[in-house]
Amino acid sequence: MSTRYFEDIKIGDAIEYGSKTLTKDEIIAFAKKYDPQPFHIDEEAAKETIYGGIIASGWHTAAVTMRMMVDNMIDTKASLGSPGINNLRWHKPVFPGDTLRVRSEITDKKRSKSRPTMGTTFGKLEVFNQHDEVVMSFDSIGMMLARNTED
Amino acid sequence: MTMRYFEDFKVGDTEEFGNYKTSQEDIIEFATEFDPQPFHIDPDAAKEHFFGGIIASGWHTGSMLMRMIVDNQVLASSSMGSPGIDELRWIQPVRPSEILNAQSEVLSSTPHKYKDDRGFVKFKHTILNQNREIKMTMISTILFGKRPAAEVSQ
Repeated sequence: MSTRYFEDIKIGDAIEYGSKTLTKDEIIAFAKKYDPQPFHIDEEAAKETIYGGIIASGWHTAAVTMRMMVDNMIDTKASLGSPGINNLRWHKPVFPGDTLRVRSEITDKKRSKSRPTMGTTFGKLEVFNQHDEVVMSFDSIGMMLARNTED
Repeated sequence: MTMRYFEDFKVGDTEEFGNYKTSQEDIIEFATEFDPQPFHIDPDAAKEHFFGGIIASGWHTGSMLMRMIVDNQVLASSSMGSPGIDELRWIQPVRPSEILNAQSEVLSSTPHKYKDDRGFVKFKHTILNQNREIKMTMISTILFGKRPAAEVSQ
């Protein structure tokens, strides 16, 4: 894959990628370390909740989303990382056996005025399950190297 | 720990907790599974990088904050989960062998519009290291159940 720089990113560009199935063991292992609430780690306790069973930590969903982004979208030669994200929403629970994929659309881009060798891209990122339901979404911000110092 | 309900989180309330120790092993383990970029997983490659050494995935830093919040604010509470995060900012990278604390401030408290038994609390959480350097900030909401009537009358 040839390196994609700031100039190569177009507003309206949309791609879908990834296919990650979360197992019960993975969900429990992640949550024991980072989010040990009963409905993430304890099957018996989870049965009594409105979800009726174990669900993934929202941070686990975000982490596997990052993995799909790294494998499919982020070009480590041109990427300069991210200052953060906005408006993350966990719309629906993720259950063991659910298969997730990502849809990412570029909504805006701005070349840096102070450092024109780089620019910032803004995106809308959605994570779907196998029933085409959105389980999580957020607004992404990415900093990237530019090929040239002007458009 | 005393059980906390929606009413127990008042606008302006602050607290600090955590004492979360980071390690190169944990940072590499998380990133190998979820964020395998060279500056998160390869100590040699990371030296050549802008940051000059291994740094934690931003999602790992967020997950560490979640652990601090769960241990100190969520488990002994009537939490019913979180609809999401309004704003997450990675200010400075987290490195191995740091000790992280979380500062919590209540920004707003809003009863649920339709369900009388619960309400939303908006927090700003700030991660600081042992030198009081700010690593990450997060503005997010947690839904808490209100104190049951039986306890109110006690």
